[in-house]
Amino acid sequence: MKLTIDELKNIRFFDNYNDEQLKIFIGISSIKEFRVKDILFEQYDELSDVYILLVGCLSLGISLAKEKRIRLGTLEEGQLFSWSAVFSPHISTAWVMATCPTKVLAIDAKKLNLEFEKDCEFGFKTMSKIAQTISHRLSDTRFQLMNQLTL
Amino acid sequence: MLNDKNIYKPIRAKLTDVIDESQLIKTFVLVPEDKFSFKTGQFIELSVDGIGEAPFTPSSSPLVTEKLEITVMKTGYVTEYMHMLKPGVYMGIRGPYGRGYPIESFFGKEVLILGGGCGLAPIRSLLYALEGIKDKLVKVILCYGSKTPADCIYKPLFDRLNSTEKFEAYRTVDKADENWNGSVGVATTLLNKIKINIENSVAVVCGPPIMMKFGTIRLLELGYKDDQIYLSMEKNMSCGLGKCGHCMMGEFFVCKDGPVFTYDEIKHNPEIWK
Amino acid sequence: MQYNSFTKEEWDKTLEHLLLSYTIFASIENEFGQDYELIRPADIARISYNKPKPATSLKSFFLPVKENVTSERVDEKPRIILGIPNCDIEGLCLLDQIYLDKEFNDIFYRKRRENTILISSDCFGIQEYCHCLSYGIKPYSSKNADLAVINLDGKIVLKIITGKGEDFIKKIPTARSLEDKSVISVIEKEQLATETLLATSNKGLPDYKKTGKLVSEAKAEIWEKYSARCVSCGACTTICPTCTCFLLIDKPGFEKVKQMDACQYPGFERVAGGEDALFELHNRFRNRYMCKYVWKPGKFSSLACTGCGRCIEACIGKINKNEIFMELAK
Repeated sequence: MKLTIDELKNIRFFDNYNDEQLKIFIGISSIKEFRVKDILFEQYDELSDVYILLVGCLSLGISLAKEKRIRLGTLEEGQLFSWSAVFSPHISTAWVMATCPTKVLAIDAKKLNLEFEKDCEFGFKTMSKIAQTISHRLSDTRFQLMNQLTL
Repeated sequence: MLNDKNIYKPIRAKLTDVIDESQLIKTFVLVPEDKFSFKTGQFIELSVDGIGEAPFTPSSSPLVTEKLEITVMKTGYVTEYMHMLKPGVYMGIRGPYGRGYPIESFFGKEVLILGGGCGLAPIRSLLYALEGIKDKLVKVILCYGSKTPADCIYKPLFDRLNSTEKFEAYRTVDKADENWNGSVGVATTLLNKIKINIENSVAVVCGPPIMMKFGTIRLLELGYKDDQIYLSMEKNMSCGLGKCGHCMMGEFFVCKDGPVFTYDEIKHNPEIWK
Repeated sequence: MQYNSFTKEEWDKTLEHLLLSYTIFASIENEFGQDYELIRPADIARISYNKPKPATSLKSFFLPVKENVTSERVDEKPRIILGIPNCDIEGLCLLDQIYLDKEFNDIFYRKRRENTILISSDCFGIQEYCHCLSYGIKPYSSKNADLAVINLDGKIVLKIITGKGEDFIKKIPTARSLEDKSVISVIEKEQLATETLLATSNKGLPDYKKTGKLVSEAKAEIWEKYSARCVSCGACTTICPTCTCFLLIDKPGFEKVKQMDACQYPGFERVAGGEDALFELHNRFRNRYMCKYVWKPGKFSSLACTGCGRCIEACIGKINKNEIFMELAK
């Protein structure tokens, strides 16, 4: 199942791409569905897809031991995750679990990197957006940590 | 012409009810002996007879004038005494002081309220005030984060807002417990969830200093302009009259020039997040 | 400007007569130096004229160290304060802006203000740390004081400045217009001589506005260096004509006692949660200069430092703020 260009344009991550560039994304991505309690990936799993949450609810966290999951965050519709797929060594920093029926857009990271090599401007734009996602996630997590460390 | 009112003398108010909100937080319901009204965002100096006074922003609706509610966290000398009070005693009120939220300038706009921790008390008052003028607003969205689910006071407020036309309310916690099924993460993560027309909106940030700093930075990154962001800079207010010097933040007396400021008014001041 | 004159004998008799209906404080030289004393008839001959300056600033007459501000005000006998240096008169202007503001006027301060006749005294000569002129303040009053008094070799000249001063003079039967106008040029010559002394003694001291710029740009090392001998005693804030920070202390029956406070004391900005923005001494030290030269000027038109130099005299660590500013100006 594929998304249309118009459906992509409704997702904030795809702002400021032209139709040609959106077609590239459509060509290298697919839609995946998950049920409640499905684990999309575990912490330390090797990742091959970058995801964008389309519909549903996801929890994110780290594990102390196999059965002890610590919930650290919630992902909202439109948000990008599994960004580690794009960067070597492609190892996930967290587990992600569906907490209600969920649909995600899965973008093949290897094929995305090949497209970057063909078009550097497209590559720069996309990596900048991914960097901003990571930056916000880091600063939110630091803020969360500060709340625990201070009064 | 200068008037003869004694600015240091409190009016008496009867404590009619004490509501337990959480382990450390209580709401005091007060009935002032003299006529008293306030604008949302203004504060009062609340006295415990013979012990001391402390500044609080009322958490009740400014449209209700026979009584007011003050939500108090037990955090120091005066508030510890306050928490021991039983209904029937009298407390002292000086005020209202300061510049509150200019809600008339929110007409025709979307209002985003980003709150954290103890900020929910003044936010509740603001929400009541906005409900009173909701015909003039486009919509109101509350994004609120507390440390844990237990730390969130006024829990019924969220359901009530979500069933009120033009209002949306979202909650998140830094640290979940086993029973928590909602969002996890800091208040700013809720901004990923909402749909808002930034150009035609105002943002109100209210909470502990760390939260206000992070919140403001994130709102600016999202495209809010300096004069669209309203901050409540509560800082060691003491006399409330712009005289005793304790609340000075650069050239501003927070008690008189604030406590509500736009980010534009104070952004040049290096003292604001201390 | 209207001038009246008296012989010294006439003036002393006038004061004796005024004592029947006024409480009079005047500047007197005693074995410790010079300061205000409550005058009885026997003290009139000892009053000091045109010599800077009383150790206590004018602030103490309007803002007591401790005061119950919820009790009923007691009407006091009207007062005359005689021998006020212009630096203190100008300092009072800032206190007026704070305590007589339209929204919240302090009725205790206001009644004292209304109840007091201010008679300033031109300074003929300077003290070691006087520097009023560097901040644009003259060593003599031509506004804000009700009257100014000059003692010229046995002749008392009274300059009438405000409407209140004029009304006061009308009640004095012995008052007569100054006839010998050449006296005025003698006075002006003395004023100029004092100004020259001030200019020489304070050469290189930056003016008020420049000081504000230097203070706001100064690096932490300067504050750490000069605050090394500070012990947060608060003498500077206590003696300063324009420092007015206070605490409101609760007493039973919702009574409030207003007590002078100092930003130099530890815990001045400590909040209930425990945070204290001015925890470090050098930050409190810097805070006072920022307040006087940068922040208050942003808020009020009157000066927050009138160059009286008392903070330098009072400091037990012998810290001289003017040394800081001269170093910053280099």
